Amino acid sequence: MEGLFRDTLGPGGWFVLGLIPPAIFALYFLKLKRQAVEVPSTYLWHRAIEDLHVNSLWQRLRKSLLLFLQLLLIALAMLALLRPGWQGESLTGQRYIFLIDKSASMSATDGLQGESRLADAKQRVAALIDQLESDMSAMIIAFDEQPDVVQEFTDNHRLLRESLERIEPSAGHTDLRGALELADGFANPGRVMSEDGKREFEVTEQQQVELYIFSDGRFRGVEGFSLGNLQPKFLPMGSFASQNMAITAFNTRQSDERPELQQAFAKVENFSERAHAVIVELYLEQQLLDAVELKIPAGDVAAAIFNLPGVSEGKLIAKLVIPSGFEDKLSIDNKAYAVLEDSRDARVLLVTPGNSVLEVALSTERMKRLAKVDKASPDIMKQADFKIQMQSEVYDLMIFDQCVPPAMPLASTVFVGRLPPQEEWSQGPAQESLFAPQIIDWQRSHPLLNLVELGNVQIADTLLAKPPLGGRTLVDSTLGPLVAIAPRDRYEDVVLGFEIVGKDGDGATFNTDWPRKHSFPNFWFNVLEYFSRRQGNARDHHSPGSPVELRLAGRTGTLEVELPGGTRRQIELASPGQLDFHETSELGVYAVSDKGKVVKSFAVNLFDREESDIRLQTKQDGEEGVQLVDSLSIGYVDVTAELSTSPVRRELWKNLLLGALAVLILEWYIYNRRVYV
Amino acid sequence: MPVTSESPLLSPELMARLERLELVTRKVFRGRMKGERRSKRKGQSVEFADFRNYVAGDDLRLLDWNLYARLDKLIVKLFLEEEDLHFYTLIDASMSMDFGLPTKLYYAKQLAAALGFIGLARADRVRIETLGQGVSERGPILRGRHNVRRMMQQIEAIRPGEQVSLTEGVKNFCLRNAGRGVVVLISDLMDKGGYETALKYFVSHQVDCFVIQVLSQEELDPDVKGDLKLVDCEDQDEAEITVSAPLLSRYKQTLNAFTSGAQDFCSRRGIHYLLANNRVPVDDLVASHLRRRGLVR
Repeated sequence: MEGLFRDTLGPGGWFVLGLIPPAIFALYFLKLKRQAVEVPSTYLWHRAIEDLHVNSLWQRLRKSLLLFLQLLLIALAMLALLRPGWQGESLTGQRYIFLIDKSASMSATDGLQGESRLADAKQRVAALIDQLESDMSAMIIAFDEQPDVVQEFTDNHRLLRESLERIEPSAGHTDLRGALELADGFANPGRVMSEDGKREFEVTEQQQVELYIFSDGRFRGVEGFSLGNLQPKFLPMGSFASQNMAITAFNTRQSDERPELQQAFAKVENFSERAHAVIVELYLEQQLLDAVELKIPAGDVAAAIFNLPGVSEGKLIAKLVIPSGFEDKLSIDNKAYAVLEDSRDARVLLVTPGNSVLEVALSTERMKRLAKVDKASPDIMKQADFKIQMQSEVYDLMIFDQCVPPAMPLASTVFVGRLPPQEEWSQGPAQESLFAPQIIDWQRSHPLLNLVELGNVQIADTLLAKPPLGGRTLVDSTLGPLVAIAPRDRYEDVVLGFEIVGKDGDGATFNTDWPRKHSFPNFWFNVLEYFSRRQGNARDHHSPGSPVELRLAGRTGTLEVELPGGTRRQIELASPGQLDFHETSELGVYAVSDKGKVVKSFAVNLFDREESDIRLQTKQDGEEGVQLVDSLSIGYVDVTAELSTSPVRRELWKNLLLGALAVLILEWYIYNRRVYV
Repeated sequence: MPVTSESPLLSPELMARLERLELVTRKVFRGRMKGERRSKRKGQSVEFADFRNYVAGDDLRLLDWNLYARLDKLIVKLFLEEEDLHFYTLIDASMSMDFGLPTKLYYAKQLAAALGFIGLARADRVRIETLGQGVSERGPILRGRHNVRRMMQQIEAIRPGEQVSLTEGVKNFCLRNAGRGVVVLISDLMDKGGYETALKYFVSHQVDCFVIQVLSQEELDPDVKGDLKLVDCEDQDEAEITVSAPLLSRYKQTLNAFTSGAQDFCSRRGIHYLLANNRVPVDDLVASHLRRRGLVR
């Protein structure tokens, strides 16, 4: 009764209803006890009847027409009470927006007949398009991280279907907000314009727009969003029980124990209800390097670490070998890519007349792993060799302690106790030293001041480090800014207004008690980490769809980027040494080459637990303990998931009752007019 | 619903109109007594018919003296005799005639009264009979205007319920009445044995025969509904019908076939046929229809 029919009466009701047809029969035959009428003669009647008896079966049928009509009437009523219906989606409204999730998780093949969720969603949308009346219009938006208007509002069904077919699955994350904002823009054109405190209210007629969201809900709700005229409907795709095994992290790093050894690290997650063993294979280019079996408990993570002795560069691929008996529904996260590069440490030059605490702080073991620190005295600045180095990006970072170079080098810099030789920083005439500033605030959120506590630091003399336009004050004192950072081209300059070690008549003296605090080595570690990261570390992970910024020192003109699929793109460098690349929708390794020579590679990986965990998010129904698809929260609205098995029933009972009414009227007409057939 | 109308069979106005009419026959019959119409018999009238030679015993008053003077022969001049007419009205008083509003029998009685009145007014010999009448029950032959009242009483005394078939009744009538004349049969002809044999008796009896078939409006256009059991009032025969449009049209077809069959049968045998609906007033019928048919003038 669940599929085509639905029971609406209890057994008692059906019993009573079941009595009606026999009652009609009984009444019909009772009615046949004919009324006796005396006539002058039956002579003519007999002759008339005799003629009609010739085709008596047909005559009988004609005679019983009223009976048949009554039986038909009651049959229609019974059928209507059974509430026949079928799966369908009834459309009420005039304007529709179909939001179709095309993110990575929508590629999961747990749809109907083994098709992907996206294919399922497209079928559902196609079915809805078929139901659109002529006065209804619809638009289609596909979204992953970025919304994409596939088709603007139209009532042309063919156009809608064609546009629908064009939607291809992507490997991106899911971000509903962008799609909602786009839909909102189409649905609520210019609601309130606020300009100079004056509010202009839109005058166009508000129109309700039905918003169908086809997604697997693998994303967090959208907060702080007002739906306005949008009437959302969430149609979840996929199932609760879909299994998936995914590599959620893969990178290379130096071994902690043996810094010269490269390691590959893969994190594998099991998104299923049972523990499974899985083999992770590691390939370099096409060659199998290593394999390891991981036993992963249900819903847990396991890590595989591969040592890579003797391997210095190349394209690393980690592959999952799915065990038989495990239905891995999403395959794109079974592969992960990494680029192994000849790890060039950041090079740092410390120019100082002598600063033991700083030198010690820059020579710890951890610092050595981050960067190679060279030390020089200020005399070096007079050499011609140094001037060349200044202009050729040999160093990633230059630290000038108590000295100032003649010109700014092509590198990020840190000035200690001096201001850079630029007008922006010097701000007019030479500054007087100020005495005993009290630190009142510092930017704890800035990476340079990560875990740096400066509240207890005493400083004797200082210059004020007022950053030029575009810079930021990092440490503020009662007298003014003490530490500031400002960008310069693609570099950044950090200025510490106070010396750490100063010179006075007695020789070297401490200008501050900072070196005696924990925050001092932390700060310099942050400095090295911050600036060595900025050189464009290969370990950075790029998400599909997000733009990639590469620093390619010394490259100009046009570079060629080879996509994982093999297609090539010519990219003009926006500025010398900086490549911005946006076409990162494919997963894999992208190779940047200059005149045929690969100069840089980067990998794009999914690495998104939300996308890989393809099970539909559930909530427990308190009363029945039934698994339900979790609702979608958009702003303050909870959009309940429509059941994917039967989203809307198309009911027939109204038509049946109308038919029964028509039969009743026909019967009445026939009875009164005595017109049989 | 049997209607025994208390109203007089003939209204004074109708009688006044009927006085101007006379019964007509295409055949010339011998009457019994001197009447107002020509007879086959030669007799005394102003209308010359023939000459013949005088034979002894002829009335000398009839001799044509002019011819005798010219030819010296005794020639008798013959004149057409004017005689009375035998006018019989035969009423079917079976149960089936007791239907309709007014009943067919009442209608038949009215008709008989009207025709009889005309006959009496013209000094014809008028006799009203019913089909089932025994020899002993038959009334006298009436003649002369003074008998109108008697005739009316006679007609009014007719009651429905005679159980005799049409054929039998006509046969008995012909045996009883040897006299030639005009016979008007007023019946619905609804006899399961058929009307043909009955009418043939008239043909062989050489009477000028008129058949007036009286049908009620209910028979011509039945107004019945539903599933009915029709009971024949004469023989209690039953017919179960479910009234439907095809059945009604079939009935009408049958009725048409029946009446046109009767008309056809009559016209082939020189019998005048007239279908009368009981809703048509008797004076209209007599004044227009019968006049057109040539029964009255």
